[in-house]
Amino acid sequence: MELRDINYNKGEYVETASGNKVCRQTILCGSQNIILQGKVIVQSEAIIRGDLANVKTGRYCIISKEAVLRPPYKKFSKGVAFFPLNMGDHVFVGERSVVNAAVVGNYVYIGKNCVIGRRCTLKDCCVIEDNTILAPETVVPPFTRYGGSPGVQVGDLPECQADVMVDFTRGYYQHFQPLKLI
Amino acid sequence: MMSRNNIKIFPGAMVCEESKLRGDITIGSGTIVHPSAVIIAEAGPIIIGDWCLIEEQVKIVHRLPFDQQSNENSQPVLIIGSNNVFEVDCIVEAPKIGNNNVFESKCFVGNKVTISNGCTIGAGCKITDEQILPENVIIFGVNCQMREGLDRPGPQTLQMETLSKMLPNYHHIKKPNMKKE
Amino acid sequence: MAYITGPDVVKYACTCGLLKPITHLYFCRYCTQIRCSFCVCHEIDSNFCGKCSENIPSSEARLKKNRCGNCYVCPSCQQDLSTRIASKGSANPEEAKSTPKKMYYLLCQFCRWSSRDVGIPDQSTVTGGWPKRENVHANRLQELVDSYKAIILASKKHQQDKEKKKRVKCLSYTDRTGVTAAAIRKRLGLPADMTHPMLKNRPKNPEPAKAKSEVEDLPDSIFTEPLNLAEIMSIEQRLLQPEQQPTTVDKLFPVHKQLSIKRSLRCRSCEHNVSKPEYNPNSVKFKIQLFAYYIIPEIRIVTVEPLRSGKTSELIVKFTNPTQHQTTITFFELDLDEVESVVTEEVAEVAESFEQSLYLQEKQQLSLPSLGSLSQPSSLLASRTPSITVKPRRIKEDLNCKIGIPESSFILLPRDDAAEYDDSGDSHNIQDDPKLVKWRKSNKAFIRLYVTPNEDLPLNSEVTCGFVMQHIYTNTITSKVENKEPQQYNHKVKVFLTLGNSVGCD
Repeated sequence: MELRDINYNKGEYVETASGNKVCRQTILCGSQNIILQGKVIVQSEAIIRGDLANVKTGRYCIISKEAVLRPPYKKFSKGVAFFPLNMGDHVFVGERSVVNAAVVGNYVYIGKNCVIGRRCTLKDCCVIEDNTILAPETVVPPFTRYGGSPGVQVGDLPECQADVMVDFTRGYYQHFQPLKLI
Repeated sequence: MMSRNNIKIFPGAMVCEESKLRGDITIGSGTIVHPSAVIIAEAGPIIIGDWCLIEEQVKIVHRLPFDQQSNENSQPVLIIGSNNVFEVDCIVEAPKIGNNNVFESKCFVGNKVTISNGCTIGAGCKITDEQILPENVIIFGVNCQMREGLDRPGPQTLQMETLSKMLPNYHHIKKPNMKKE
Repeated sequence: MAYITGPDVVKYACTCGLLKPITHLYFCRYCTQIRCSFCVCHEIDSNFCGKCSENIPSSEARLKKNRCGNCYVCPSCQQDLSTRIASKGSANPEEAKSTPKKMYYLLCQFCRWSSRDVGIPDQSTVTGGWPKRENVHANRLQELVDSYKAIILASKKHQQDKEKKKRVKCLSYTDRTGVTAAAIRKRLGLPADMTHPMLKNRPKNPEPAKAKSEVEDLPDSIFTEPLNLAEIMSIEQRLLQPEQQPTTVDKLFPVHKQLSIKRSLRCRSCEHNVSKPEYNPNSVKFKIQLFAYYIIPEIRIVTVEPLRSGKTSELIVKFTNPTQHQTTITFFELDLDEVESVVTEEVAEVAESFEQSLYLQEKQQLSLPSLGSLSQPSSLLASRTPSITVKPRRIKEDLNCKIGIPESSFILLPRDDAAEYDDSGDSHNIQDDPKLVKWRKSNKAFIRLYVTPNEDLPLNSEVTCGFVMQHIYTNTITSKVENKEPQQYNHKVKVFLTLGNSVGCD
């Protein structure tokens, strides 16, 4: 199915020079530590915890409503350190998902209401189905589809998944348009 | 029921301004409340002990079950012990919570469940049936499987030390209004 | 997002007769046919561990029973186990000062199972040296495996010798030239004696299992003691350890993580690869990628008017040209009966080609000995698995909706990656049939079609329609090699659309 237009109220969003569209109703803590590479959409009530550590997203990422991007911490014998959260290009994070991962690769789809545990590594081209709970430090290999609680591999992805995700995130960005007043 | 907010914060606690606190709430020293956490004392006061960690999107609601809501005179107090960890987006309505419990992300604890000490409610687990969780129980998985742990989960003091150094650099912190006892 | 989460509403028919979404199809440019995962050969390229992302040679993988040597999964919930440090000083407080020893244990961070739960002592190295557990039946199993291996070997040899005997018949000509069959055997480096291999190295039969008539009685405690469900293993947990199959949770032991594979796909009829991944387990790139998604125009449903039985509704579909070449799309009626005739035709063709190949093989076999020098044994021919031609099956799909086939065709412009950065409007100058083409932009076109669900269609039933799409496939391989103009073919694909459920008349 072709995507429908997703309309937003122009006053609610800020569009940056690099094409990022960020809702005003988001909680971006420590915004100096957050890098959005361009054409990134951050929707209402999403939380990005730049205050804990750097958060970097690639191009064409979509952070849906009420999603949380939170850098993971690691315990050492002398204390706790927060590690940066790096996200690749063409990543979709569904509504109300909590991403505690250390690395999210390129072309990753995270469904709604997921929990990506601390210091998980999502490799390129993987899909996390809706309502999945990934245990901390899980590694999701390329071309796999994970689902369930605890998240386990439930299927494979076609080899052209990268292009499917590029098409999807680009299409989403193009269809994400301000409401036109008639 | 509670129209006025009455927030009592003990020294050493770190409560971010962007958190939502409603009703009569007491927050013990050393406790950290992240921005956009929600604590609602609807049915009566909430007393949170020392060294609790309450992350963003957490909802702690003091709400009585329907069958107990009739008697208006009593105002039960929700007492949350010390060293409890509430992870991102968990919803906790339990009427009593002991010490050293971990509520992982997106778990839901209904208002008929009493939590003792050292319990771990796994990510995404929903428990609603009336019960008292025994000590050191671990609940995990899609069917809320239960197993008994050897000992209670480790405290998060190290993480909280780091947080208490970092958070004031980025957030407005509510000033403590209580004196040390 | 239909391809990732939603149901597949647009399906293409593979040459073998299965219906799949375009993302799951391949296009063999040597046969100019659509292939799917069902009708290609799967070959394992490499084994790797999904957790540590390390390539493991196939011989080692076989030795370790396709499991990673370093990574473990939790026996309780099958999640990856992580290694934790327990910097415990030794029991003697005086020693603790001098050597703060680091000890490691395994912990599942999902269900909090740890190697300490079952009394596995902490280890002093990260990678473990975790105690291996002996299987009580290991010897017996090995004995059986060995004997079956011997049987396979013997039967293989038997088969080979049979083939050789056949060849010997052909070679009997050579008697006249003075070269005996035995001499040729010698030249080929084969043993001279011809005794039956089944007789020669007959595998030793393992001791047969004996049935016991007397079984130990159940202990009394099983009837009297109450069951504690928290201590009993679940079926999944038991099946994870097939050798032991313990019943109580205190016997849960960490399990080595199973390996994943990378595979390449090969067309069965021409033996060319249609997909070959890069060796690196983390790479998502391909050396060979003949995916239909890159070659065949993609069709997506945009809107469809409410479907009522017997009434015509408008259907808007979007066509996207993924190639660098302009193509023309023409529609044809899809006739499932016609499909049948095509199938039978193809079957005849297949039979013919099979005969032909047989003939060829015979010829080669005949010509080989005449060459004199037998430096290339004919086993080369048999080294690859012979291509298996699958008889195309009949497409099983109930079409309950008629689609108005437009008479005119339309052009799809080539894909232009630079167009994304180009804000100046489209400057194409294409004479479109305004009835057919609703709107177009770069390599995409929105096409208006009319569909009529069948009269007798019950309410709320799923409406499916189909048509044949012909597009121009530009083959670029020949042009590269011979510096020719790229060849163009008209390629037809059967497309099936699931339009949704029918609604009542208003």
